[in-house]
Amino acid sequence: METTEKYHFDVVRWFSVAAVIYLVVGTLVGVVIASQLAWPVMNFDNPYLTFGRLRPLHTNAVIFAFGGCVLMATAFYSVQRTCGVKLWSNKLAWFTFWGWNLIIVSAVITLPLGLTSGKEYAELEWPIDIAIAVVWVAFTVNFVMTIANRKSSHIYVSNWFFLGMMIMITYLHVVNSLAIPVGMFKSYSIFSGVQDAMIQWWWGHNAVGFYLTAGFLGIMYYFVPKQANRPMFSYRLSVIHFWALTFGYVWLGAHHLQYTALPDWTGSLGAAISIAMIIPSWGGAINGMMTLSGAWDKLRTDYVLRFLIASLAFYAMSTFEGPIMSIKTVNALSHYTDWTVGHVHSGALGWVGMVAAGALYHMVMKLWNTEMYSSKLVNTHFWLATIGTVIYIVALWISGIMQGLMWRDYDEFGTLTYTFAESVAAMHPFYAMRTIGGFIYMLGGVVMLYNVVMTIRQARTNPSITAEPARA
Amino acid sequence: MSDKKTNQVGDTGHVWDDNLRELLNDPPRWWMISFYASIAWVVVYFILYPAIPLVNSHTKGIMGWTQIKEYKEDLQKIEQVRAPWENKIRGMTPAAILADSELTTYTVNSAKVLFGDRCAACHGAGGAGNPGYPVLADDDWLYGGTVEAIQESIAAGRQGMMPGYKDQLSEQQIEQLTDYVMALSQGNGDSQPAGKALFDEAGCSGCHGADGKGMHMMGSANLTDGIWRFASQDQRASVKYTIAHGVNTGDDDSRSAVMPSFENQLNQTDIVRLTVYVHELGGGQ
Repeated sequence: METTEKYHFDVVRWFSVAAVIYLVVGTLVGVVIASQLAWPVMNFDNPYLTFGRLRPLHTNAVIFAFGGCVLMATAFYSVQRTCGVKLWSNKLAWFTFWGWNLIIVSAVITLPLGLTSGKEYAELEWPIDIAIAVVWVAFTVNFVMTIANRKSSHIYVSNWFFLGMMIMITYLHVVNSLAIPVGMFKSYSIFSGVQDAMIQWWWGHNAVGFYLTAGFLGIMYYFVPKQANRPMFSYRLSVIHFWALTFGYVWLGAHHLQYTALPDWTGSLGAAISIAMIIPSWGGAINGMMTLSGAWDKLRTDYVLRFLIASLAFYAMSTFEGPIMSIKTVNALSHYTDWTVGHVHSGALGWVGMVAAGALYHMVMKLWNTEMYSSKLVNTHFWLATIGTVIYIVALWISGIMQGLMWRDYDEFGTLTYTFAESVAAMHPFYAMRTIGGFIYMLGGVVMLYNVVMTIRQARTNPSITAEPARA
Repeated sequence: MSDKKTNQVGDTGHVWDDNLRELLNDPPRWWMISFYASIAWVVVYFILYPAIPLVNSHTKGIMGWTQIKEYKEDLQKIEQVRAPWENKIRGMTPAAILADSELTTYTVNSAKVLFGDRCAACHGAGGAGNPGYPVLADDDWLYGGTVEAIQESIAAGRQGMMPGYKDQLSEQQIEQLTDYVMALSQGNGDSQPAGKALFDEAGCSGCHGADGKGMHMMGSANLTDGIWRFASQDQRASVKYTIAHGVNTGDDDSRSAVMPSFENQLNQTDIVRLTVYVHELGGGQ
């Protein structure tokens, strides 16, 4: 197949299928740890399955395994199509695929063993950090060289976003992971104290800002107009919001550390720029949604487009909520509560997960040159994902705000009204509710995996099918 | 390269991947206004608050805000509410506080979270107890329920102590003793003469008293009231285990019964506060 194809698509196919598998695995681990918070018996008295070890496995699985494979699949797919050339190096792309998956396997082994550098969203130990840097740079070089070889005169907007992500993540990952090894699986950060905290959250927020936002906006800019078969709404808007986000995001990290030992100026700088990021973020959401203007009826029949547009709604909501939470007065209430966890999931489940699902469905149909095995199941997945996300974030809004209010409540004598344990007990029903929300979201992933597998089988057994088979 | 324009505004004239085009729409006016307002917001915020790093310091902002100042102001506000009471109870004994109902109400209220954060993990919310840890809300006390005894327990801690008898007594004797202790708790110890005799011979009565009612001086448990220090669903098995293996003997299989000392963790007022709280949980003497 490879030799006759216009582009190198085999590696994209593998990345796409891997992404769908990791979606199920990553959310499954999430459901397990969510249930452990509600029902500690779910630890099964096994140290390898405790929350502290599985939580980084969950975040690494969804962000780097699922998110990474989605980004690599979509970037390799769209860069070839928008540049009108094959990948610069097919071999390097396969190196990227196997390297990245090897890193994922090493995460699955080391994290439950408790081998961690203790840095959030950067838990993997130094040998794996080096491997990440090498594979990521291979990914970047291949992408850049493909653009350099392009046949089109201009570089399409999705590629700016992908490229912005690649450059910034290389920089962020390398700096944040700088460490002195003291053994094969133990190292200490070269930064100490508040500087380490600052660097950690400079990375932490930009993993969100460049990896989960810029990268996925790249996906949006290619797949929304493609799936809708409409021109992008505004070139000018895409330029302004691209540069605003790129200049702005790097300053936000300190808003994760309000009211800590960090100098005062870092927190107010982070909060001020965070608020200023609402409008640039919305620029992307508007540009995607307005692309549909005049063709909104497509949403009624095109379930893939539904995923893409719903993801933009969650993106707009989440990028409003985040900056609000970064303001000191709000942060004083929200920090350390479940509200933070709910916020990150409104972005992760609603935006990243749904835009990825839309892009993957689109690609699967193109890559295997067929319709989906069942477009009804795409719709089922859409509703499971939407309902699961809403249940999840509503549960943690209530739980988080309640927690914050309970912690700070004083009685008429000026003494705290609630003990910490009372606030934990009060959270129980919401922990159960969020587990259910996460479970529903995971079910959506299972439906997707089934649908994708059946689609591929259908394409293989009957390659001539290019339209939905007639069903009674 | 440029397609025929299908929309009112034109496109950029570039086409990628067969049909990807970009229109020349301006961003919505409200968006542009908000965008400029965002930049203005940053400027204003930077003037109001500390925000810009300088070589050896940073801009202070005209509001004069610092987080440590905000913290101190908040703390001062809450301390003003507490002050009328706190000034009174400082230096008072628990007994003196208990003699004043208004001060007792305040003290109990102000100790609730202290108890919840420091004591409830073992003794349960409201002192209701947990398996292996004493209930504080009843009138059965190992070391006494007077304010003095309670204060001593909190300040200095307590260390339970009972020898294990697995090497001294035969299996049958331990069974007999167990039967006796179980019968004692139901008020008919005389029904187990063999165990009753052993209770004296083995030295149990030396600490638990000839009548098995325990002694506050030694912290020995009252065995006659059906309230168990090591409560269990199979209470007979639990009693037998305690007789065989003892409490805090230093062996790995011994029962553990340690109340930590708080005099180096809490200040005197907080220890007094907790004493009053525990005394008022229901069983104070």
